[in-house]
Amino acid sequence: MRVELAELFAVIMFFISFYGLIVTRNIIKSVIFIIIMEAAAIMFFLSIGYRSGILAPIGPNLAEVESWAYIADPFPQALMITAIVIGLSVTTILLIMTITITREYKTTDWDTIKIRSLEK
Amino acid sequence: MLYVVLGLWIFSALMILFEKKNVRVTLYLGIFGLLASIAFFLLGSPDVAMAEAAISTFTTIFFIVCLEKYYKFEGDFIEVEDTQAEKKPKSTFVIRYILPLLFTIFAAGLFIYFIPDNVVNPYLKELYLTRFMDEVGGYNPVTAIYLRYRVYDTLFEALMLVLAVVAVIHMSKFGEATIKDGLRSELETSNMSVFTIRLITPILLVFGIFLILNGHISAGGGFQGGLVIATFFIARYMIFNIYDLKVSRIAKIEEAVFIAIALLASVVVFLEFADFTHRPGYREIYLIIMNALIGAKVACGFMLLFYRFVAIERGARDES
Repeated sequence: MRVELAELFAVIMFFISFYGLIVTRNIIKSVIFIIIMEAAAIMFFLSIGYRSGILAPIGPNLAEVESWAYIADPFPQALMITAIVIGLSVTTILLIMTITITREYKTTDWDTIKIRSLEK
Repeated sequence: MLYVVLGLWIFSALMILFEKKNVRVTLYLGIFGLLASIAFFLLGSPDVAMAEAAISTFTTIFFIVCLEKYYKFEGDFIEVEDTQAEKKPKSTFVIRYILPLLFTIFAAGLFIYFIPDNVVNPYLKELYLTRFMDEVGGYNPVTAIYLRYRVYDTLFEALMLVLAVVAVIHMSKFGEATIKDGLRSELETSNMSVFTIRLITPILLVFGIFLILNGHISAGGGFQGGLVIATFFIARYMIFNIYDLKVSRIAKIEEAVFIAIALLASVVVFLEFADFTHRPGYREIYLIIMNALIGAKVACGFMLLFYRFVAIERGARDES
């Protein structure tokens, strides 16, 4: 068990948003915690193999670098860019669903929505 | 430096957790995105940092448009206060807040204890970094990976964007007929911000095109450039109040661009089209065209999503 400090921050953030998703009663905050969860997962993937003084893997003189340890890994970065763009499209779908629900029940509170849907 | 930024990042998430008013939560989300972007940059990935900065701007704008409509529509009902919690007995509080907290701490502890040591294969990184200049060209291995080695992922990401647009158009259920021309956007604006954004908007467009065209030799690329160009069109709507683009036409352009991306990728990458991609002078052309197509795709997709949101806002105002 050897955890980088940056990875630990990402894991803590993931579980903060996990707790928020369980506890919150507000739809807007639920959507926001899903966004935070995505950001924490992205941070976890990017911080694997981090060491202080790491450099971005960009430039014409990459081939002359002696040790690859101080160059960031480009592979998770390429995957995370697509993950970020997909995350925004997921967010917009969630917001549209939020708008539909709040138009129907006139509230953003999960409990009130449950009560009003039972009344109907 | 990185750990200071990460600490502030956690702090902003805690602020979101303890805040009850929706508008403040949205503003904290903007701060959260900014801090995440700075942290990504310090972790050595400027491409992801740029994408995250643009994305957090977008998310905040979407939330503000969503909330603005409800303040107009229903007054202040959107503020969720804890009035009901006071009347309930104390055991409800324990079940509601303390038990999830214990469960979360337990799950986090398990996750941290069982985290594996070497998750990433170091040889793969070395392989990509040593060979991408000869095989793909350009100076940016991130672009090389998502345009050449892992082009499947990019294709399916583009497909996901198309699906999201279709889903949003289907669920928003407002035709273009409900949108009346000549309605001003009623977002609160001051002369200062209008003037600043008027100065910035042309620069945004130029910057987006710059990012797309230089994606293969420096930080940037199709996704980031496309997002910046979409921001240009959003600023154009917000400040100059121009709503002249037809949603159906943008949707057709987006589909055509998606087909072009799929065709070009399959011809060049999967069929190994002659030795076109191995010739030093010509292989950059593939990267530039592909970046431009992805940029056009992303810009069209997010413009469509934003225009659907605006259409809902306008349609609700027409109803009320």
